[in-house]
Amino acid sequence: MLLIRAIVRPEKKDEVLSQLTKAGFPAATVVDVVGRGKQKGIRMGGVLYDEIPKILIMVAIHDEERENIIDVILKTARTGEDGTFGDGKIFITPLEEVYTISRGGRGL
Amino acid sequence: MKEIMAVVRMNKTNATKKALIDTGVAGFTAIKVLGRGKPVEDPVMIQERKQELLELAIDESIDADEAEKQVVSFLDGSRLFPRRLFTILAHDDDVPRIIEAITRANKTENNAGDGTIFVMPIADAIRVRTGETGEAAIW
Repeated sequence: MLLIRAIVRPEKKDEVLSQLTKAGFPAATVVDVVGRGKQKGIRMGGVLYDEIPKILIMVAIHDEERENIIDVILKTARTGEDGTFGDGKIFITPLEEVYTISRGGRGL
Repeated sequence: MKEIMAVVRMNKTNATKKALIDTGVAGFTAIKVLGRGKPVEDPVMIQERKQELLELAIDESIDADEAEKQVVSFLDGSRLFPRRLFTILAHDDDVPRIIEAITRANKTENNAGDGTIFVMPIADAIRVRTGETGEAAIW
């Protein structure tokens, strides 16, 4: 199993979540975060903004669903034709075990 | 060395903290998150919950259609619910104990929405105060 952590623009949150549901990933954990990227933030009128608000979406998936979910997130979270700085990132970490509390057992 | 991430109900935060202390794990990081899980598919359960929620809304000042719409949005899996995300670093041997404690503290009669626990490997940890690394840095 894998844990997908995707950082996306706040205005893309609803679209990404609804597309994920359509693609068969209804479960997600969402956190409001701030951050900056390679561009060191945005400089506007002499002021440097380096705490740019983003949304962190976490989804646990089976290994074989990896390509599918990355595809969905890339397609919906990208802005403009070739993407824009600040569209976000996707991190993938291995998940060893998952427990669902209400069911009391192992597994997604 | 493992990282345990547990998503639990907001009102179970204190129960979870207490359960962790009883297990001998005092350190954790907790943040407020929004989340949703696998949609409930059992039609009987959905009907029961819908009835319960609609009864709460009976009031002349509330538009019936609007109330119905709100209630449906609670049940069709499109809404995000507030939850607390605990992040705990643990030695490999302690992981089953911690999972057992979190599960016991968070299980309710609702059969859904009690949260999920993720266990993942973590490469290293460093205690800033002393510079200790690895297993010694956890507790």
